[in-house]
Amino acid sequence: MDFDFTDDQESLRDAVRRWVDKGFPFDRRHALAKAGGRTRAVYGELAELGLAGLAVPEAHGGLGQGPVEAMVVCEELGRGLVNAPYAHAALMSPALLSAAPEALQAEWLPGIASGETLVVPALQERAARYQLSHVATSARAQGEGWLLDGAKCAVPGADEADAFLVPARVSGGPRDAEGLSLFLVRAGDARIAAYATQDGGRAGDLWLAGTRAQRVTDDGLAALELAVDVGLAAHCAEAVGLMDQLVAITVDYMNTRKQFGSTLAGFQALRHRIADVKMQLELGRSMSYFASLKLAEPAPQRRRAVAQARVQLGQSMRTVGQQCIQLHGGIGCTDEYIASHYFKRLTMLEMTLGDTLHHLGEVSARMQDTAGVFA
Amino acid sequence: MDLNFTPEELAFRTEIRQWVAENLPADLAHKVRHALRLSRDDMQRWARILGKKGWLGWGWPKEFGGPGWNAIQKHLFEEECALACAPRVVPFGPVMVAPVIMAFGNAEQQQRFLPGIASGDVWWSQGYSEPGSGSDLASLKCKAERKTTGRGDIYVVNGQKTWTTLGQFGEWIFCLVRTSSEGKPQTGISFLLIDMKTPGITVRPIILMDGEHEVNEVWFDNVEVPAENLIGEENKGWTYAKHLLAHERTNIADVNRAKRELERLKRIAKAEGVYDDLRFRDQIALLEVDIVALEMMVLRVLSAEKSGKQSLDVAGLLKIRGSEIQQRYSELMMLAAGPLARPYIFEAMEAGWQGDLAFPAPLLPLAGTFFNMRKTTIYGGSNEVQRNIVAQTVLGS
Repeated sequence: MDFDFTDDQESLRDAVRRWVDKGFPFDRRHALAKAGGRTRAVYGELAELGLAGLAVPEAHGGLGQGPVEAMVVCEELGRGLVNAPYAHAALMSPALLSAAPEALQAEWLPGIASGETLVVPALQERAARYQLSHVATSARAQGEGWLLDGAKCAVPGADEADAFLVPARVSGGPRDAEGLSLFLVRAGDARIAAYATQDGGRAGDLWLAGTRAQRVTDDGLAALELAVDVGLAAHCAEAVGLMDQLVAITVDYMNTRKQFGSTLAGFQALRHRIADVKMQLELGRSMSYFASLKLAEPAPQRRRAVAQARVQLGQSMRTVGQQCIQLHGGIGCTDEYIASHYFKRLTMLEMTLGDTLHHLGEVSARMQDTAGVFA
Repeated sequence: MDLNFTPEELAFRTEIRQWVAENLPADLAHKVRHALRLSRDDMQRWARILGKKGWLGWGWPKEFGGPGWNAIQKHLFEEECALACAPRVVPFGPVMVAPVIMAFGNAEQQQRFLPGIASGDVWWSQGYSEPGSGSDLASLKCKAERKTTGRGDIYVVNGQKTWTTLGQFGEWIFCLVRTSSEGKPQTGISFLLIDMKTPGITVRPIILMDGEHEVNEVWFDNVEVPAENLIGEENKGWTYAKHLLAHERTNIADVNRAKRELERLKRIAKAEGVYDDLRFRDQIALLEVDIVALEMMVLRVLSAEKSGKQSLDVAGLLKIRGSEIQQRYSELMMLAAGPLARPYIFEAMEAGWQGDLAFPAPLLPLAGTFFNMRKTTIYGGSNEVQRNIVAQTVLGS
């Protein structure tokens, strides 16, 4: 048992952090968000660092790195409030494509690894909330390929993506676990309506009406569950970076701002609040490690561990985000000040790929007689 | 980064597990599993079994006769004992005073006191808190005056200690006493070992709200203590006590016991039909997440201790979270019993009690445990004091 990072992992962290410090100041982030949240250029810069191919196998031009490296990168992207859809494009899409036939992997993964091609999952449907098996979009075979009908909502980076990974149903009713396949749809073949997001990014809706698609796998649900757990672990790590930095900003403010002749740090009510925030941060960090270190486990253990982690991170994100705004006072509520942007990202992240109640339901349904890190 | 124990650590755990399975008396495990009352003899029986094996001082270095285990081995030992429902080792001797004697006592004191602690033969108590000194421990007033007599130098001790856990069984007590009123309160405190059979000592029970005699008041009326029982230097006792506190670290979180009690909560919830009530079950699920998160935090500390690469200053967080979790599982167990938690039958806390009940007797101790657990967020530095300490670390001021 060992929770130290290797020298290589520390170098990776430093590389991302140096890029953030130099290339992604808050001014730039703020301007990008105001202009609609397009971040393809930002993603290109991450790709130059090799990060687009971090999780892509070396055989397909990537770095073939594992969950801990992904965690390190995501922590730093969180710390820097980087609004590119990194977890979706660089981590979840390769995870989904790992279920694809070799030819399809060879066709798409090198472009993903270099960052030339942006492929994002399009998972969300209007009434599905967080149930992965809830897919109404349908697929029918036509010749060598497939045609899809349906709609997906709030797809990350929708109008900047080159292709989408789309779950659709070849048989069964909208909530059946069976009958799900995963397809790849080129952006030019679908109708897209994009918009900015509350947390400074970009997303959009995707209409599929007899839209051409290539099938990735006919075991759609298993592929989705794995990719979503990969995405959740990445979001846990991003949340840790976000919280770490937000707490640092807040501590700084508490040691500077004066009221009633004392810095905020002098008031016990506020000191206890920052202690509670620190508690949630460290519990969250612990469970982010847990999620990433459990990703390689068999599906049932992996699913349970990631859900447990996400329940903790959900509580941490809410407590740290909301309390850090409160600790700031009025300035924390403004758009010009950085803290509100961390808070908004934490808030939206808490509802991405399942909110805390959803994951609590998962933990609750999967409880065993024994519990613990090694159960 | 690796979540898994090494093959050596796993083999170590197997060895401990087997030994505990073979040596833990079944009647003791039964009492612990059902939170029944443990007698002095029960507690000392287990201590002596460990002592004979050389494991009562499981945190001790080899030079003092301990096994010389590292942080992870200590944790695994504690976990195996807890999961097997071994009685908790009364910590005052082997965990609390022994490390102080090792670090600051002289060779004579070490030879005199450590063997009795290691074997489990001598029962130690702790004399820290006073009626006027709870969270503000350094304000303590119990006075020790040094005097020269024909039989050598002595300290004459006058004052009162309180909350002395299991002090009714104590043979020796280690005390923080005031030897000077000059300067800051912390700088006038000394660390004194006192034979509880000395004339002038009176132990009086305090009955807690669960109806149990767990803690005591200890009165000192002109108690004469040989000066050779002073640990280290006069007026340095506060430093030694802080060393002792630093020695608790991860076991203060008590996460191993929490894991065992979570299993018990699930059994009770199933038997009482609330495990399938989603509203109740979700509360158990939340607690399960809290316990896994606490365990991960403990493991991070152990890993940091083992590798020495990073320092993790989270003792205050572990205390706060661990105590909150203790209160929560005891509360959920009581809630699972619901209306059947209300009967209070003092005798039912004894093993083998045969009552005339139309419901299961194991529900009877649940409310008492809940009431008893209110102490956990208060003792060992109240959780509010812990928050002050955490805030100081976070804010740097």
